Amino acid sequence: MPIQLTSQAYCKMLLHAAKYPHCAVNGLLVAEKTKEKKKDRHSDPVLCVDCVPLFHGTLALAPMLEVALTLIDTWCKENNYIIVGYYQANERTKDSRPNQVAEKVAARISENFSEAAIVMVDNSRLTLSCFEPIVLIYDHHENKWKSREVTSESFEDWSEAQKITSALLEGRSYENLIDFDNHLDDLRNDWTNPMINKSVLDLC
Amino acid sequence: MASVSEMYDVGWEEMRDKLRKWREDSCRNSEQIVDVGEELISEHASKLGDDIWIIYEQVMIAALDCSRDDLALTCLQELKKQFPDSHRVKRLAGMRLEALERYDEANKHYDAILQDDPTNTAARKRKIAILKAQGKSAEAIRELNEYLEQFVGDQEAWHELSELYINEHDYGKAAFCLEELMMTNPHNHLYCEQYAEVKYTQGGLENLELSRKYFAQALRLNNRNMRALFGLYMSASHIAASPKVSAKVKKDNMKYAAWAATQINRAYKLAGRGTKENKCSMKAVEEMLESMQITMS
Repeated sequence: MPIQLTSQAYCKMLLHAAKYPHCAVNGLLVAEKTKEKKKDRHSDPVLCVDCVPLFHGTLALAPMLEVALTLIDTWCKENNYIIVGYYQANERTKDSRPNQVAEKVAARISENFSEAAIVMVDNSRLTLSCFEPIVLIYDHHENKWKSREVTSESFEDWSEAQKITSALLEGRSYENLIDFDNHLDDLRNDWTNPMINKSVLDLC
Repeated sequence: MASVSEMYDVGWEEMRDKLRKWREDSCRNSEQIVDVGEELISEHASKLGDDIWIIYEQVMIAALDCSRDDLALTCLQELKKQFPDSHRVKRLAGMRLEALERYDEANKHYDAILQDDPTNTAARKRKIAILKAQGKSAEAIRELNEYLEQFVGDQEAWHELSELYINEHDYGKAAFCLEELMMTNPHNHLYCEQYAEVKYTQGGLENLELSRKYFAQALRLNNRNMRALFGLYMSASHIAASPKVSAKVKKDNMKYAAWAATQINRAYKLAGRGTKENKCSMKAVEEMLESMQITMS
């Protein structure tokens, strides 16, 4: 089952990358939990309705990642979500391949959701207008992560996603994006980003 | 578009002071620095006195970060006029070439500075930064190690090296760098806490116990460091859950974990006062702590 991104998930990922242009950033993708699918609905895409920005800077340390995964897992259960993917934007512009950290986290997610995906942001194509999707989606096949072609089909509504992301980037909304690191710096910072979610809704 | 002074109702002195604070704290909020600095330079240059030169430097670097080569060039030219033979200004010229990805030219620039002054640390560090930008991590690490053999007290360099090692997953060597930093900065809770995180990531019972001790030390130095608090909770919980520990160690660590859990809950209650949104976070934390207690016992 391939994953599909909503405008909210896509734009928050890009806002996170834009907020810390000099750092690597990462986060989790969540989808709504549905009842057991019947066998013949196998090819239905999994809709990632939201993402939770995690860290910026050093991504390769374990303790805070464990805390974040556990906390977000609990939050997911309360909201009937399930963690279905992981996104990462690397530190260097020209580097957009998933590294060991990405594979490790994705493997952990796969324990609870077998079709977990890795979404990498292609930094070199990040612009204000976002006229084309700039993510690469990797699926796990035969013990390797292989990238899949990303088209407008990978989005719930590409033109809406493009419009909203572009508007929020130009308006510098990323200055208000909160990731888990910000939350650990000050607990009052809310990593569910209700303000940004509202801005997205307003622009829909 | 409204000017900064209009939008935030500030005068030029406040803008100048803000820039100074950002300099002192080494903040990399380049977009804000460009907004404030550009306005300050273009409209209040005459009032800034000698401060203007350091502001030109600060704004130029921020401009490079924001791809504002026009602004960077303006600042650079003013600095070149005022300080024609300065190595410090030459380094800025090199940084501009780096920003334009003209790495070979930038390297030549830095080599020229080093010919003239072999002890120029800034030029050496820029050359290492170029290696990092080009993805040549192994070489960057090697050069940085050589640099530190000579300039053993350069804390910024030790910290950069620890980050390079962490990114290469060489946690043992990253720990060594952080140990150097902790020795020279025994009161810095951030180094303690980072060291603890590296030890935790290394794994194994001994490293977990060490990590717990350093998380505790970080908390002693700053009792509001949430990462240290969470880290203490996680490391103590893992030790208590390990089948290899004695009953006493298990009991002690469960006590530490329980204490940390209470502190975490209290911190969240304090933070959540008055805000409706944080209720979900707090509940999630409570449940997380409860669920971990269940799996442990």
